[in-house]
Amino acid sequence: MIKFDNIAFKYSENGQDILHDVNFTLKRGSYHFLSGQSGSGKTSLMSLMYLGHMPTSGQITMFGKKVNMLERDELSKLRQNIGVMFQDFRLLNHLSTFDNVALPLRISNRPEKEVKDHVNELIDWVGLGKHKTDLPPTLSGGQQQRIAIARAVIARPKLLLADEPTGNLDDKIGFRLMGLFEQLNRMGTTIVIATHNQKIIEQFGHPCLSLVDGTLEASPSNKIAQKIRNVF
Amino acid sequence: MFSKIKKLYSQALKYLGFRDYDLPLNQSEDSRFLILLVGLMSFLAVLAFSGTFALNDMTSRWSSGLENKVTIEVPVETKEGHLLSNRTVNKETKKLASKLENNPIIKSVKILSHEEIQELISPWIGKDLTLNDIPLPGLIAVELRRSDSKSLDMLKANVKAISKYAQLETHHEWLGSLISFANTLKTLALFIALIIGGATVTAIIAGVRTRLAIHCKEVELLHHMGASDDYISRQFQRHSMILAFKGSVFGTLSGLFIMGIIVMLSNGSGGSLIPAIEISYMAVLFILAIPAIAALIAMVASRFTVLHSLQEMP
Ligand SMILES: Nc1ncnc2c1ncn2[C@@H]1O[C@H](COP(=O)(O)OP(=O)(O)O)[C@@H](O)[C@H]1O
Ligand SMILES: [Mg+2]
Repeated sequence: MIKFDNIAFKYSENGQDILHDVNFTLKRGSYHFLSGQSGSGKTSLMSLMYLGHMPTSGQITMFGKKVNMLERDELSKLRQNIGVMFQDFRLLNHLSTFDNVALPLRISNRPEKEVKDHVNELIDWVGLGKHKTDLPPTLSGGQQQRIAIARAVIARPKLLLADEPTGNLDDKIGFRLMGLFEQLNRMGTTIVIATHNQKIIEQFGHPCLSLVDGTLEASPSNKIAQKIRNVF
Repeated sequence: MFSKIKKLYSQALKYLGFRDYDLPLNQSEDSRFLILLVGLMSFLAVLAFSGTFALNDMTSRWSSGLENKVTIEVPVETKEGHLLSNRTVNKETKKLASKLENNPIIKSVKILSHEEIQELISPWIGKDLTLNDIPLPGLIAVELRRSDSKSLDMLKANVKAISKYAQLETHHEWLGSLISFANTLKTLALFIALIIGGATVTAIIAGVRTRLAIHCKEVELLHHMGASDDYISRQFQRHSMILAFKGSVFGTLSGLFIMGIIVMLSNGSGGSLIPAIEISYMAVLFILAIPAIAALIAMVASRFTVLHSLQEMP
């Protein structure tokens, strides 16, 4: 589903490499953590996965397509299959909760009737039913995060990327959110979650891509997870 | 109060199925400036267009009314500088009129009375002078069956044969220069309209570029969520289109209002200073289409600008 071949990446022409020699393959329906210290390049690697940036060198294959060969319109179509929950949410502050969540559906030109039904349902489900017409700046951090997650999953993406989704939350809500991801994964969504929260990684025991010095290394937690799985 | 109306208005729009822009375009300060500019441009366009229509109308009235009309003059002074007596002038005039009457190329012949002649020349010498004070020329208004130069040449020859004093005054020469002057004005108006269009397009492009720069973060976000260039462009198009339409309606109506006043003044003043201006319903309809045209121009200009600028974004 996703294949990174010898990927290197830097933000500017003469900047330093943020990522180098990154190689990995994610199977359809898989669930991975992406770990690494702050500044290790998790967010950058995510941005390559949602095609927000193009690698400086190497080959990315997504959904069976080599992304550097694609036209702009084909890239847009591809991105519609990816749901992203950004570290800083990136909600549109002038739009209501409803319109924020509806955005991915409108972008893929779904009929407005369908948009209304699905969005109302999902907003109720994440517990923001009373805040449909509120603007994000009037809501709490936790409520904004729920808008962000609703927006990421509303269009039933094949790939869900979440960048530090538990970063701003106390453990209780964080674990509930993780439960949602588990559920989506069981329904077939491929999931990658960037986190530096070792506790979560250990608790859920999914394979882990570990970023150290701008490249992936086989992580101990990964091995532990494998061992745990082997035991059961 | 005002904000209440505004809120009601936006709720009504939402009810009708319009929704907010995905980009906070309505928060830009330059919107009002663009409305004002397009309004001003539309106002000028109305003046330029109605000027053109009025000129068109006038020139066609002039030429259709005058082209087959010729004046024969028996002047009070011969080419050699001798004065002719009133009696001679009258005799020559009558002779010409009676002989020309049966000419097949001529439709009608009419000797102008002294009162009519005085009416014609009164703007130059004033009405207070009595007829007897100055010698008056004899004038015959002739209407030709055809307005081609062959009939005109034949008439010239005939007149010369009948009277050695008579002179032919065709309206062709001064009418021709008047029409070419009018055409110059029309070209000028068209030129002004083009400049107006160009300036409006430039302003719209600059506005769109500014808004793209201000909202580049949001545009980038939409891109990352899979929005195509077309989708993003539509947001800007709709916004520019509505601004241009608002401004243009305002400007066009003001322009029509001013033109209405000018037309009324021109018709009320007895036609001495300003010639009577008439603007046909067709012209008014055309002018009323200006807002639609402005909106269309704004839409196309925005689309090209956005698509072009987006190409340069990742
Ligand atoms: N937009 C950017 N332009 C330039 N450098 C950046 C940008 N974003 C991140 N970086 C740099 O890239 C490195 C990795 O950052 P990031 O991917 O955000 O790491 P993480 O998400 O693991 O904290 C950091 O050194 C950071 O300073
Ligand atoms: Mg990060």
